[in-house]
Amino acid sequence: MAGAASALFLLDIKGRVLIWRDYRGDVSAIQAERFFTKLIEKDGDPQSQDPVVYDSGVSYMFIQHNNVYLMAASRQNCNAASILLFLHRVVDVFKHYFEELEEESLRDNFVVVYELLDEIMDFGFPQFTEAKILSEFIKTDAYRMEVTQRPPMAVTNAVSWRSEGIRYKKNEVFLDVVESVNILVNSNGQIIRSDVVGALKMRTYLSGMPECKLGLNDRVLLEAQGRTTKGKAIDLDDTKFHQYVVSYFKCVRLARFENDRTISFIPPDGSFDLMTYRLSTQVKPLIWVEAQVEKHSRSRIEIMVKARSQFKERSTATNVEIELPVPSDSTNPNVRTSMGSAAYAPENDALVWKIKSFPGNREYMLRAEFSLPSITAEEATPDRKAPIRVKFEIPYFTVSGIQVRYLKIIEKSGYQALPWVRYITMAGEYELRLM
Amino acid sequence: MAPPAQSQRSASPSQPSGKGEVSDLKSQLRQLAGSRAPGVDDSKRELFKKVISYMTIGVDVSSVFGEMVMCSATSDIVLKKMCYLYVGNYAKVNPDLALLTINFLQRDCKDEDPIIRGLALRSLCSLRVTNLVEYLVGPLGSGLKDNNSYVRMVAVIGVLKLYHISASTCIDADFPLTLKHLMLNDPDTQVVANCLSALQEIWSSEASMSEEASREREALLSKPIVYHLLNRIKEFSEWAQCLLLELVAKYVPSDSNDIFDIMNLLEDRLQHANGAVVLATVKVFLHLTLSMTDVHQQVYERIKAPLLTLVSSGSPEQSYAVLSHLHLLVMRAPFIFASDYKHFYCQYNEPSYVKKLKLEMLTAVANESNTYEIVTELCEYAANVDITIARESIRAVGKIALQQYDVNAIVDRLLQFLEMEKDYVTAEALVLVKDLLRKYPQWSHDCIAVVGSISTQNVQEPKAKAALIWMLGEYSQDMHDAPYILESLIENWDEEHSAEVSTYLFWGYGFIMKISSYKSKIGQFDILNQQYWLIYTVFGQVRLQLLTAVMKCFFKRPPETQNALGAALAAGLADFHQVGFHNVGLQDVHDRALFYYRLLQYNVSVAENVVNPPKQAVSVFADTQSSEIKDRIFDEFNSLSVVYQKPSYMFTDKEHRGPFEFSDELGNVSIGAESADNVVPANRVEANDKDLLLSTSEKEESRGPTHNGSAYSAPLYDSSSASISAANSLSELAISNPTSAGNASSSSLAIDDLLGLGLPATPAAAPAPASAPLPPPLKLNPKAVLDPGTFQQKWRQLGISFSQEFSMSPQGVAALTTPQALLKHMQGHSIHCIASGGQSPNFKFFFFAQKAEESSNYLVECVINTSSAKAQIKIKADDQSTSQAFSDIFQSALSKFTVS
Repeated sequence: MAGAASALFLLDIKGRVLIWRDYRGDVSAIQAERFFTKLIEKDGDPQSQDPVVYDSGVSYMFIQHNNVYLMAASRQNCNAASILLFLHRVVDVFKHYFEELEEESLRDNFVVVYELLDEIMDFGFPQFTEAKILSEFIKTDAYRMEVTQRPPMAVTNAVSWRSEGIRYKKNEVFLDVVESVNILVNSNGQIIRSDVVGALKMRTYLSGMPECKLGLNDRVLLEAQGRTTKGKAIDLDDTKFHQYVVSYFKCVRLARFENDRTISFIPPDGSFDLMTYRLSTQVKPLIWVEAQVEKHSRSRIEIMVKARSQFKERSTATNVEIELPVPSDSTNPNVRTSMGSAAYAPENDALVWKIKSFPGNREYMLRAEFSLPSITAEEATPDRKAPIRVKFEIPYFTVSGIQVRYLKIIEKSGYQALPWVRYITMAGEYELRLM
Repeated sequence: MAPPAQSQRSASPSQPSGKGEVSDLKSQLRQLAGSRAPGVDDSKRELFKKVISYMTIGVDVSSVFGEMVMCSATSDIVLKKMCYLYVGNYAKVNPDLALLTINFLQRDCKDEDPIIRGLALRSLCSLRVTNLVEYLVGPLGSGLKDNNSYVRMVAVIGVLKLYHISASTCIDADFPLTLKHLMLNDPDTQVVANCLSALQEIWSSEASMSEEASREREALLSKPIVYHLLNRIKEFSEWAQCLLLELVAKYVPSDSNDIFDIMNLLEDRLQHANGAVVLATVKVFLHLTLSMTDVHQQVYERIKAPLLTLVSSGSPEQSYAVLSHLHLLVMRAPFIFASDYKHFYCQYNEPSYVKKLKLEMLTAVANESNTYEIVTELCEYAANVDITIARESIRAVGKIALQQYDVNAIVDRLLQFLEMEKDYVTAEALVLVKDLLRKYPQWSHDCIAVVGSISTQNVQEPKAKAALIWMLGEYSQDMHDAPYILESLIENWDEEHSAEVSTYLFWGYGFIMKISSYKSKIGQFDILNQQYWLIYTVFGQVRLQLLTAVMKCFFKRPPETQNALGAALAAGLADFHQVGFHNVGLQDVHDRALFYYRLLQYNVSVAENVVNPPKQAVSVFADTQSSEIKDRIFDEFNSLSVVYQKPSYMFTDKEHRGPFEFSDELGNVSIGAESADNVVPANRVEANDKDLLLSTSEKEESRGPTHNGSAYSAPLYDSSSASISAANSLSELAISNPTSAGNASSSSLAIDDLLGLGLPATPAAAPAPASAPLPPPLKLNPKAVLDPGTFQQKWRQLGISFSQEFSMSPQGVAALTTPQALLKHMQGHSIHCIASGGQSPNFKFFFFAQKAEESSNYLVECVINTSSAKAQIKIKADDQSTSQAFSDIFQSALSKFTVS
């Protein structure tokens, strides 16, 4: 960090200070509040405001979460990316403590909030932002008092993210491979951008200090192991690992990892993201939507939509939601669908078509009619050119073809642990500009 | 429990219960203070929580200070914490009461529970009361030695807090050295990281005062320390890793093996889940390889994928921060993202601050191969709901067009925009078409057909209107209706922008007030001109354009325009009388109308030449930012500078520059404050680094070298260029005429003597060329003072008024084996050294001097190469007219430098 933060603020939706913690004594809460309230008032839409703003010598960096703003202020040339990320981490910490971070939960928990603010940062330097470690310091829950007399775990352990002495009756690991598909299709039906962002999400309920070994069918990984890559191997463009990962095949330059190129790690207790990856190969749209709009007269509009699933029949997409933009002043919706149900959501100027289960290689239709006001203002607002947006989940399926080859759990007591692996593909930013 | 959600945060009258409840609390607390009944802690907790809640919502509960302190005699850690919090909040405003707390905090610092020890120590150090400093030293000392790392971690930051309350106490207690020891030996990484933060801050701010501190500051960047820390990097927390990587980015590797070792070690940091770590690693890679062009290019390839992942995953705020950095990178290496442009396509739901940056990226990465697709995508956004984004995307299209890629397609698109019939789209597109036509006149035919069909009624924005009128005038021969459109515009002369006038008036007036309060003599006229210009562009813009357009049209189609011209000139002349003197913009309109009128009276063909001269297409529109600034921002990669696109000195106060922020132009050579004796050997490494940076950036791309030299080759002020030519002629004179130097005994001394005698110390006696005015004798203030910060600032602000390269005498070169001697020598001539460094054969010095009577400064950068016996000086001066004289003094002083 090139420079420290001066203070952290928690503000309500109007920009008034709920709680703040002054770390360096060189910014004023009154000034910050005055500046910030003006800032979000001025713009009407706080969404459009840059997350980093400057006012008379102080840089303010903020994020919004529900009805709360978290804001760091600094007089130094600090590391903007790192502070914004830190604020997100603070949100995670608060969520861990209050389930949900919002104005109400902050007001109910002033004392804990102060305690947390005290430990996550000292004199403007980030300290601990992991809820599990912080729980060693936060004492306000009186019932936990007796248990925590030993010194904090981050200190005595070589493995800072896992306490010793964890016990489970049944040792289990759940590994979810979640891929979200981002796709952008232009009005000619061409895919102009597509990529897949995947994550390996884990939940572990393991006793002791286990070491996990994970094998994937990543091409780089397999080649590094000297195995021939058959059709099934995949290429991952960029991978990111959580800090729990102790060694990885990328450390090839260090001779001692030469023989052991699997991903090996000591998992923290509970849920965490082990690894994320990105693939920017051309993806075939899993659900294709075509729409035709006909304006019959000045006052009536008809929309015909075809939705087609473009994956193998053995897979099924669930919770499919297709959001179709309609003119903003449409009334009297009259909708028929061959499957699922559709509802008009005037607040989003959209018709939302929901299909609970959408098997592969099928096609469903929707036909909708709307009335438009017969008189339109001469200076009509510009047409919203919103895309069709689609949400879905396809269980037991990955676009990338990534596969977990094995997941071994080794613990010195030698217990047998059950690994559960699930695959799921979801729609990320899935936009078709077809209307 | 927190009280009901009240938004008042001050004990305002609307909260009448405030006072009563506080005194209520006070008595309750007093009752509990002495009680030892079971369960008393629980009721205390409830009360404490109430106090804290009041405190948070702004009710002043400082009156219960005494009771709180009394109640804190407890073993209950929750109570203690709340009490610390309370004390921390009120101690600063009640220093007397704070004294009360010292006792129990000091006791708690010796508690059995390490957490209580740590918390008490933290609270103790956070009191920020100067007269309590003496009580801090003891507990801090034992805290640093505590066997629990939590306490040590708190104590280390405590030392930094102490330093900010009382620097001398901190230094006297030798705490920095203890921290250094801890940093190298402590098993706990958070302690190590905190030591690093604290030491960086302490030594950076001490460095200007003490030689030792600046040496220690350099030592933090030495190979053993950097390697020691790097070897432990994987144990560090993610934030500590960022801190360490920031340090490594400043490290000067000794050779290429060094560089590769570090990069191999850090390779996997690029895969860290924390984006801040990734960015910090990118910075290390980029900065380490600056000297190795080909590796540097490979680094760009390597960092591409991780950076793109950061953009497309994670929070929009992260995308925002990362995109700012990508923009900087793409400016340095335009090819880097050329094939990844699709990553910068905007998504419908993204916040507009991300979209704005993505648009900038799309403009920046456009090249021959991808322009078509990028422009197609940008055109989609022109119909965006968010009007600012729509406007930005049209502007982006224009910028790409001006980059000369695929102009043909773009012109078509722009013309489509004009036909979209949305006011703001038309407005933006008109401005662009105008700019395009200035660059590519060959497209006029296509454009004019479309532009001619636009109804002026639909164009309201002044900028767009002015653009349209310009085109009407410029291409009136091709536009059938041009004279009549202009005529109708002139008929509406007064309606032009009557609504806007009042606001602009106010605006313009404000400017003038500001200017008149602006004290400095130099530059005042420049600023005035600039402001006048600003006002008139916004204000009289449309009318001025209208006048000129009618004139142009008149020469092309006289019979049709004659009436309109008469009306326009009359209206323009009337403007002056209508509005009054402080209306600068209209004054201009009046003047121009008058000028045209007289010109026409004088000679019509001359007038035509003035108004309608043959035009040359504009080839390059001016870039807004100098490459020097861009390089400086690059030096500060991964900080706010990149987000603001400004170097840090523009937005931070001097005392808030972070650690190592001096490491720029000047700072790389460490600051040897005031005293010339302060040349620190340790800074050689940095100076060396500096040279490395220079040479590579010059090698790397010919975008104009970084900090130095020819970056300043931009047009200089008249006075200074005059002085340069004067200087050149002076030295030529001296050298071409060796006999005049008199008794040169040996040829090796000839030049030395020439410089010494030919250009004597008092320039009044110098054989100045007849054409140059004789400069007044220049006297320097022997006791001149300038602090390094001001020096840096001035160095950046001023342009080079004089620069020259000349030879040094062998004696002088020989004497340079001890650079300190030169500093003493120059001081004898009232020229003071502010910083110096370098390694044989290259030495670099920064000097300054002040005029004896006024506080006008001269700043000098002097680079001496001992192997070629050449010295190169660059002088910047507040008063540029005397820089020549000063340079004479400087050179003569330098030439007299010999082994003493």
